[in-house]
Amino acid sequence: MQIIIDKVKCEAKLGETLLTIARRNNIHIPTLCHSDALAGQGNCRMCMVEVSEGKTKKMVASCIYPVTKSIEVITNSETLTKMRKTLVMLLSARVPHNNTILKLRQEYNLPPVTRFKSDDEEECILCGLCTRACDEMGISAISTVNRGINKKVSTPFEEPSTVCIGCGACAHVCPTGAIKIEDIGEERIIWEKSFELLRCSNCGKPFITRVGFEYIKNKINTEIETVCENCRKDAITKKLRDIYGF
Amino acid sequence: MENQQDFQYTRQISQQYPQDKRFLLAILQDIQKEYNYLPRESLYMVQEYMDIPLAKLYSMATFYKALSLKPKGRYIIKVCDGTACHIRASQTLTDEISKILKIAPGQTTSDGRFSLETVNCLGSCAAAPVIVVNDRFYGKVTPSMVKTIIDEYGGIYS
Ligand code: SF4
Ligand code: FES
Repeated sequence: MQIIIDKVKCEAKLGETLLTIARRNNIHIPTLCHSDALAGQGNCRMCMVEVSEGKTKKMVASCIYPVTKSIEVITNSETLTKMRKTLVMLLSARVPHNNTILKLRQEYNLPPVTRFKSDDEEECILCGLCTRACDEMGISAISTVNRGINKKVSTPFEEPSTVCIGCGACAHVCPTGAIKIEDIGEERIIWEKSFELLRCSNCGKPFITRVGFEYIKNKINTEIETVCENCRKDAITKKLRDIYGF
Repeated sequence: MENQQDFQYTRQISQQYPQDKRFLLAILQDIQKEYNYLPRESLYMVQEYMDIPLAKLYSMATFYKALSLKPKGRYIIKVCDGTACHIRASQTLTDEISKILKIAPGQTTSDGRFSLETVNCLGSCAAAPVIVVNDRFYGKVTPSMVKTIIDEYGGIYS
């Protein structure tokens, strides 16, 4: 099937999201709450695009809109920019000092938002990626708590979690860098809990928490080596080089 | 602190429901009704019974206004602040109750007898402004009536 995005003809498979297709064709659509590993959020609405099907036009969130027939898509228009500006303005009101949002605000040429009282320390835009990541890890140590203007992400009772393994997936997926994760020597502190870090047996860099390592080992039920991602990649490259001789 | 028997009762409440997520809210509501709040121990027991992460339970417990993690008073005074009641000066009722009980909305008196809450609409706009104490309803309330109502529940101990 073929669809048209910004006048460019793009190959599309049934059910693929517009965002996936656009990205494959190097068409940029801004996103905040999207992560390829945790698709299907549809919370932030930054990725809105215009879809026309014959005479009807509609605005959809490209990260969750599946293609079912030949359509024409516009990723940039006056209306869309206006919508995104409104979103960025609202987010700026919530997290006035967050760098990600600050950059967006400058990109869209928007003045600082002074109309609302906001918390200077706030960095979270409540996109929901972190709790999703934690759920996918099979841990669910964090969730959103409270509601309305008091909603936030936290551990139960706002105490160090009894189940957190310190994997850092939440901090890793966070688009605004709102989750503090601190690695000092062989210690990691996240969600106010301290973890022992294991060193890579190859390069010696601390790279995973002991409980995290044990958790993965149990989950996949095999012995694994304490080798960090970089060293593992290097090892694979070397192997390939040996096989193919380049 | 609750005694051992209290905890057992949480188990009984839970076991009246199948171990299925969709009954969670009903269980929590029953526990809230029994203890006037959700004791931590009860949450742990529900977690065990339903086999769900504590974070999910905590999220739910903090989301619904009908659920509370802090003990609520024996008498819960709800002042309606929906549009009709608001226009008919429900705020003055809240102020008056606050003054008498010396608590702000959302708080409970130190003797654990009264909680004050404002709610959004009780659906009795014709009788605005409306107050509900536990399950008892008062319509067309004026600030001068507030003390009499509180007295019905034993008033404040001085
Ligand atoms: S902490 Fe980050 S990932 Fe989690 S909800 Fe907030 S912005 Fe999203
Ligand atoms: S990226 Fe699509 S809604 Fe957030």
